[in-house]
Amino acid sequence: MESQKSNTQDRELILTRKLNAPIELVWEVWTEPEHIANWWGPNGFTNTISTMDVRAGGAWNLVMHGPDGKDYDNRSIFKEIILHKKIVYEHISYPRILATIDFEAQGDQTLITWHMLFDSAEEFMAVVKAHNAKEGQKQNVEKLAAYLEGLHEQHR
Amino acid sequence: MKARRDVYQAIADPTRRAIIHMIAAQPQNVNAIAEKFDVTRQAISLHVKILTDCGLIVIKQRGRDRFCEAQLDQLGEVANWVAQYRQHWESKLDAMENYLEKLKKERYGKPKK
Repeated sequence: MESQKSNTQDRELILTRKLNAPIELVWEVWTEPEHIANWWGPNGFTNTISTMDVRAGGAWNLVMHGPDGKDYDNRSIFKEIILHKKIVYEHISYPRILATIDFEAQGDQTLITWHMLFDSAEEFMAVVKAHNAKEGQKQNVEKLAAYLEGLHEQHR
Repeated sequence: MKARRDVYQAIADPTRRAIIHMIAAQPQNVNAIAEKFDVTRQAISLHVKILTDCGLIVIKQRGRDRFCEAQLDQLGEVANWVAQYRQHWESKLDAMENYLEKLKKERYGKPKK
């Protein structure tokens, strides 16, 4: 059968992005709570960070506030921190994910590689499924909003 | 009561993925599949049954042999859903990118042309 070259393939996501900013700035924006609160979380969410202790073994507690008024608790533990090179954290609330973010300076730009490894393929599939359901629901709400907007226009 | 099966459940198991992989190129009979794995014949039969229930394979009788044939349309659907989930994380990177731009402007003034 297929070799064991990647026995995690079925439960991981890898994203890469070249950011148009020097590595010091990218690192700062990732590791300081007042910065990360400005970009973490899906569109329409805000974030409250109660703890962000960026060192191996340090806790990172973040609550995402959804547009629907719901709060989502995200607790993680940093596993490894190498300045301007690497962040590893384990998301210990559901779903359990081991995330590794590599930073690489490329002149004035920074290449980041974001690797997310789920505990199991079962869990990964469950999350994908739940996400899909949520997306479907969101689209329904958007459709409803567009529909109501249409009605509103007609009545003007 | 019959448990509800879905395609996610089907592909979450490594042996079942290996079976799909094996028959994707061409149909194989159940005995041939069972021989390739280090588990009991019964275990393979159960996996085949789950895959059949999920509609990922169909069994076709040919003479005395039962052949498993892959029906992979549903897997495309899963791939789309994984892609949507990936998009969710990509949007985090988009947000980071936008925030970096904003911060650069604040700190260093207008970006160089």
